Amino acid sequence: MLTIENAAVAYARGGDALERASLDVSSGTRHLVCGAAGSGKTTLLHLATGIIPRLITPERISGQVRIGGAATATADAEAIFGRVGYVAQSVEDQLWDLSLEDLIAFPLENRAVPPARLRERMGELIDGLKLRPLSGRRVLTLSGGERRMAALAAALATRPDLVVLDEPTTGLDPEARARLVAVLNGPELRNAALLMSAQDPGSLRSCTDIVTLLSGGTTNAPERAATLWPEDDRWRAAGILPPRHAPSPPPAPEPGAEVFGVAGLASMLARNDGQPVLRDVGFSLRAGEVVGLVGRNGAGKTTLIRTLLRLAQARHGRIILGGQDAGEWSPARRARSIAYLPQEMRRILFNMSVAEEIAFAMTAKSGMARDPDVAARCSEVLARYGLADHAETNPFALSARQQAVLGLVCAEAAGAPVAVLDEPLLGRDIAGRAHLERFLRTARENERAVLMVSHDLEMIDSLCPRLLVLDAGRITFDGPTRDGWSSPGFGALNWPAPAPGTPAPVPERA
Amino acid sequence: MTAIHRANFFLKIGVGLVLSTLAWLIPEWWAGAALSALVLITLWLVGTPGLRGYLRGAALLVLLVMASWLVNLSIQGVPVSEALTTGIKLASRLVTTTAAFFFIMATTSPGAILAACSAARLPPIATLTLSLLFGVIPMLQEDFARIADAQRARGMEIDEVGFLQRLRFALARGVPLLVQAIRMAHAISLTLELGGFDLGRKRTTWREVGLLVDSPSPRHVQENDP
Repeated sequence: MLTIENAAVAYARGGDALERASLDVSSGTRHLVCGAAGSGKTTLLHLATGIIPRLITPERISGQVRIGGAATATADAEAIFGRVGYVAQSVEDQLWDLSLEDLIAFPLENRAVPPARLRERMGELIDGLKLRPLSGRRVLTLSGGERRMAALAAALATRPDLVVLDEPTTGLDPEARARLVAVLNGPELRNAALLMSAQDPGSLRSCTDIVTLLSGGTTNAPERAATLWPEDDRWRAAGILPPRHAPSPPPAPEPGAEVFGVAGLASMLARNDGQPVLRDVGFSLRAGEVVGLVGRNGAGKTTLIRTLLRLAQARHGRIILGGQDAGEWSPARRARSIAYLPQEMRRILFNMSVAEEIAFAMTAKSGMARDPDVAARCSEVLARYGLADHAETNPFALSARQQAVLGLVCAEAAGAPVAVLDEPLLGRDIAGRAHLERFLRTARENERAVLMVSHDLEMIDSLCPRLLVLDAGRITFDGPTRDGWSSPGFGALNWPAPAPGTPAPVPERA
Repeated sequence: MTAIHRANFFLKIGVGLVLSTLAWLIPEWWAGAALSALVLITLWLVGTPGLRGYLRGAALLVLLVMASWLVNLSIQGVPVSEALTTGIKLASRLVTTTAAFFFIMATTSPGAILAACSAARLPPIATLTLSLLFGVIPMLQEDFARIADAQRARGMEIDEVGFLQRLRFALARGVPLLVQAIRMAHAISLTLELGGFDLGRKRTTWREVGLLVDSPSPRHVQENDP
């Protein structure tokens, strides 16, 4: 169905290019491309969908790409895009202000499918992907994981021959990942060719037949998943943590003084039934602690962060920062004590250079990058995180991964006593994990507390000695991470606990 | 969502145009002011989302129009009372017009516009233009607010400062808003291409379109379809 022969792609601005890539994906097979951030996965998938060169024109492109025998560069657009279903890694890049139903219906309406058949297909997808609770919602108001499942439903609407998913598990909680895997293993894709990319192959194991490792823009020979899976050295050579990565137990430092506390916090934001999203949240963070927070998609994790920062209103509750009641503090004053790193850093960038972003993080003022002391500190921290050459780069010109590293740099430079990391995407390739661990080590050394929000239970298990579980608007578990996986609070989520070194058997395809 | 919110996009446009025309044809200042007041009260009664924000902008607009006409006409020797009534007349016309079109934007989703256009068998280029024209502005408004939240989340004090400082910070949102607008345009064009939007092919719609644009549950319809 898909053939890529000796493809090479180069961009004028550099980065994420392909040196030499070949790929062959047949109908009915499920193919996974794995590589570190910046290895060229997204470029390869853009080639596979025809987005390159039809919608994105690189500076240089060579090689052959064919979908169902039609060359993507020259065939009629419908002959290419009519056969492809695609979900981007940054799913926001393909969504606009439509409702769930509008989004799913859009490709069918464009192809003049009669309304009765159209609604029938929508019903199949909404029920098949268990999206009924999201019915009528605007997709831009959904949580990251919910958006991804909505985009997948839209991608499958026309029953495409080739389905291409870029990092499909990003932002999905374990239950949603299982739902995704069930869809990928199910009848909906039985005859389709499936091409996926992932930094974290573990959760896609049961829906992968063939794996191609991508390193430095060059594809290795494809291998059967079952053969490659136990080869830890091969995964590491490709720059990513192996699927059976056995986490080293995190050190358990002596907790310092309490730097942050929340008690009886309820959000003004309510669900459809009138119940507040956060009903009664309470926990504290001590100096030098790294604490993991887990909860279902839509459980209110983002609402909690926004309420802590006073970007969303609290119905009641207390917030203590540095021993002071911060209830009446303005959002900006709270933010100077809580460094916040969202999953998509570009959402909180607004300066014109990387140096100015860091200077702003340090001083909360614009135009401070030329101050000698600030500039020296800025250079030092940039060098530590491998961004020394980017001080004058516009932050919006950085790759998503570089922006995530910039977030760590800003948080470290700010020196805030608390840092909140919302689903850091750096945890799964070796270089990114090194940056993240450096950040956490520095935070511990400087007696700062870190709250890490993630669906990646293995990462939480390996980096966070303490665990919080958010469910039904409350913290249902607060204690040592190793105890957390067997606690009733975590058990109520019905998620499998991370079990390093004991991968589940690969089931046969449904 | 009330039936008025769910009214067909073209019906809303028609009513908006009638109100605007009326506002600009009414010669008496008091009648124009009464009409704009009536429109605003109606918007409040039907629960228009985001009305508070619109009213803040409208108040600023009225202030600027009144001040500029008072100064302008006074310099030309027009009596203050006459300048005042002229200012009220013009401000009322602007409020009526902007309020009518604010209601359309605040209550009509791009999906509802797409459905109304598709049901009317409009050429796809008109469908696309209308959807983007009325659909993108609220998205940009939301992005503007989101960037303000980003500034707050980074420690920029934009709430407890004076008007001029607040204005300066608002202007600083221009660059990220531009970046976001470009990304949004890219997202929409990607959706259109991958979704098979074809300027040469008329679309269908899953919605039921009449005087109202309704969204039947796909499952419900599935059960009742032959």
